[in-house]
Amino acid sequence: MEIQSSEKSCKDVALTVLTRTHAGYFRIALSLGWQALLWKILLKDSRMAFPLLTILWSFSLSILLLLSLLYLLRCIFFFDMIKDEFSHHVGVNYLFAPWISWLLILESAPFVTPSHASFVVLWWVLAVPVVVLDVKIYGQWFTKGKRFLTAVANPSSHLSVVGNLVGARAASKMGWREVSVFLFSLGMVHYLVLFVTLYQRFSGGDLLPVVLRPVLFLFFAAPSAASLAWYSISGRFDTGSKMMFFLSLFLFTSLICRPCLFKKAMRKFNIAWWAYSYPITILALASTRYAQEVNDGVAHAIRLFLLALSVLVIFGLLLFTAFHPNLLLDPTPSPTHHPTTFPTYLSAN
Amino acid sequence: MAAKEDSFDIALPPLIKAISANEVDGFDESKPSTVHPLSTSVFRIEAASMVKEKDGQGTRDISISMPPSPVEAHLQNTKRVFFTSGGGRVDENGEAKGARFHSQPMPKRNPVYDRRFDSFKTWSGKLDRQLSNLREQPRPQEFENLPVHRYFDALEGPELDTLRASEEIILPEDKQWPFLLRFPISSFGISLGVGSQAIMWKSLSSSAATSFLDVSPHINLILWLITAALTLTVAVVYAMKTILYFEAVRREYYHPVRVNFFFAPWIALLFLALGVPPLIAQTLPQYLWYVLMAPILCLELKIYGQWMSGGQRRLSKVANPSNHLSVVGNFVGALLGASMGLKEGPIFFFAVGMAHYIVLFVTLYQRLPTNETLPKELHPVFFLFVAAPSVASMAWAKIQGSFDSGSRIAYFIALFLYVSLAVRVNFFRGFKFSLAWWAYTFPMTGAAIATIKYSSAVTCRTTQILAVALCIVATVAVAALLVNTVVHAVVLGDLFPNDMAIAISKRRPRRRWYHKRSGSSDSNIEQYLKYIDSDEKDVEASLHSSSPNSQD
Repeated sequence: MEIQSSEKSCKDVALTVLTRTHAGYFRIALSLGWQALLWKILLKDSRMAFPLLTILWSFSLSILLLLSLLYLLRCIFFFDMIKDEFSHHVGVNYLFAPWISWLLILESAPFVTPSHASFVVLWWVLAVPVVVLDVKIYGQWFTKGKRFLTAVANPSSHLSVVGNLVGARAASKMGWREVSVFLFSLGMVHYLVLFVTLYQRFSGGDLLPVVLRPVLFLFFAAPSAASLAWYSISGRFDTGSKMMFFLSLFLFTSLICRPCLFKKAMRKFNIAWWAYSYPITILALASTRYAQEVNDGVAHAIRLFLLALSVLVIFGLLLFTAFHPNLLLDPTPSPTHHPTTFPTYLSAN
Repeated sequence: MAAKEDSFDIALPPLIKAISANEVDGFDESKPSTVHPLSTSVFRIEAASMVKEKDGQGTRDISISMPPSPVEAHLQNTKRVFFTSGGGRVDENGEAKGARFHSQPMPKRNPVYDRRFDSFKTWSGKLDRQLSNLREQPRPQEFENLPVHRYFDALEGPELDTLRASEEIILPEDKQWPFLLRFPISSFGISLGVGSQAIMWKSLSSSAATSFLDVSPHINLILWLITAALTLTVAVVYAMKTILYFEAVRREYYHPVRVNFFFAPWIALLFLALGVPPLIAQTLPQYLWYVLMAPILCLELKIYGQWMSGGQRRLSKVANPSNHLSVVGNFVGALLGASMGLKEGPIFFFAVGMAHYIVLFVTLYQRLPTNETLPKELHPVFFLFVAAPSVASMAWAKIQGSFDSGSRIAYFIALFLYVSLAVRVNFFRGFKFSLAWWAYTFPMTGAAIATIKYSSAVTCRTTQILAVALCIVATVAVAALLVNTVVHAVVLGDLFPNDMAIAISKRRPRRRWYHKRSGSSDSNIEQYLKYIDSDEKDVEASLHSSSPNSQD
């Protein structure tokens, strides 16, 4: 849709932007948030890097603010679109994404320490919606007629698990051990169920459209997040964390060795490509903790490789997004409104 | 076109019998058409009462030698000659040119030069020429990747090695195939069975809890040497099979049960390293562990990735108890690495193995309706359930340094599964012996070794008695299996039967001719004609195949 020079053009642009900005756009915020957290942890001992961290954090914050504002406007003006997202098996998981992004921005703030009162308040503000979504979605998994797990399970469901684990990690940083363990166990139990279900692939046909194949990277995002959360809870990178980290590493290698899975998704740039970035960042973060614990050559090599990869990927994605400003204005339907799901989209409520 | 083979042991009605001679015009002519590779290996009977199919798809009109009577055919074990459709040439190796009219039985040919198995040979000149002759297909049709549902459609049985009655195979059924084609990968199970025995006797002689038995360490030495020799032999033979009959190896790899046995050689090597007698080596170099685990890692990346993302081979469809072999390798590797003193590598494999074991365990326990390979009755393959938890408990004990709660949990699970199978031993009846059974003895031995380790940690009368009892059971099972194997090898001579599982055709036969598995001369033509029209088995088979097809 071209920007015409009529007085309606602004309204048209605004309309298009709001209708196209679905929760999947928060992938950008997620990636930037995890990057900010990663660099904060890497450079936390270095005072010199403070300006760099602040710049990175501010950039992430501004993107997140923009996206949140757009999504809020969308909630106000196009609430039935939100409802459609909620009833879509992929879109519903991305409703966790805003809360995770805000939690990450909170944690990676260079000037806020976890014991600060504002941190605590903000944590509660952000964690409660996560738990509410949990209750709704996990409850559906084993009770609701049509939306039980084997019918709706798909790799993006890992995002709900990641949400719990990020909340657990933040809580343990605050010193709230019981809440942290509560969220951790909630996330892990459902991760177990989801892992088994997705590996079985009972329903046969992939519930994920081909263009969303990058979301497969979430397979190894969840165990890395679990490893980080357990590290925060137990205090050191012990065997449990190591095992989750190794599992994540194995799944990462397994996906990397299958480039043809992603071939069709790479034909045209779309917002789903951002799903490549944050799992790699989470894995890089976990490998940093691992290398701190096990101080040998192999661990450091893995850490450096993953760091380099994560920086490369996010830079690439930023460049791609900068050169495709019509991402928000592009009339190409978003994956939630995929033509094949149109009937369900229209009739779902 | 699905080629089929027929036996000549039926009493043919006079109509067909007369026509089989060379008097019929054009009966022995071959239509020029593109060469179908299968035309060189099998052929079809053309009865003049049937309409000659002129579909132009490479139909070969081939004449065959019709014995004057079924009995004579049976006695002579007629060798069949086949034609390509290019004017009746037999093969390019300079046999008779021109159409051959066979109304007499052909002389018995030298089995070494039997061309019917060339389609499986890796470097058969025939195959190359056929490949170059084909215009529309880049590969011979039968040798594209067989979809997994073909294996389920065509085979049955707990090990998916028995051909269903309605199916046909692309190799001759009534002749013994070359030895290499009959040598399955499950033969590596012998190394697994004997290797685990070597480890068991090593533990018995070196463990403090069983020192009251005063077991000599020489038993371990002898068993270890036997294992090493067996593994080497089987490896050499299978390597020759890979070199000479690569197609057969490929088909074994695509077989949903046999693929798991590709882990067996590496697990056998790990057993050799675990059970090495102190006389031969006290400690092993650490790089050896990396060398041994590298192939397992590569295989795992491939196979677990298939479970996750491979369209047809998803776990809910192909899960079967033999999948435990692909998971147990992780735990054995972790055990070996931890006993060598490595730290991170064993934890890596333990984590990967545990995650995938949970998935597999849940799937098998569910007995999903889409899962076709689980045997309805009990079969020795179920003992593989005991393998993973017992080895996992030992591996965890070695990693942690002591037999702690995690190891005990895993051990008790293994014990429970063992007992629940042992009390049902009455149901393990009536199965055809196969070499794969050796692979199913190693879980029993593994449980015995785990019990020895457990009794070292918790030394009391009960655990010691339990350890000794399980060792006796394992030894008796292996001995019985050894006797069985020797009997089958020497007395019955069918230790290596024709491996039906690798010879299934790509398509289900549509037009089914009268199909007989073994030659017998009392069937009559009514039955023959009836089978042509009956579609009962077709419906059944199509019911089986429709569900996986609709889900793919």
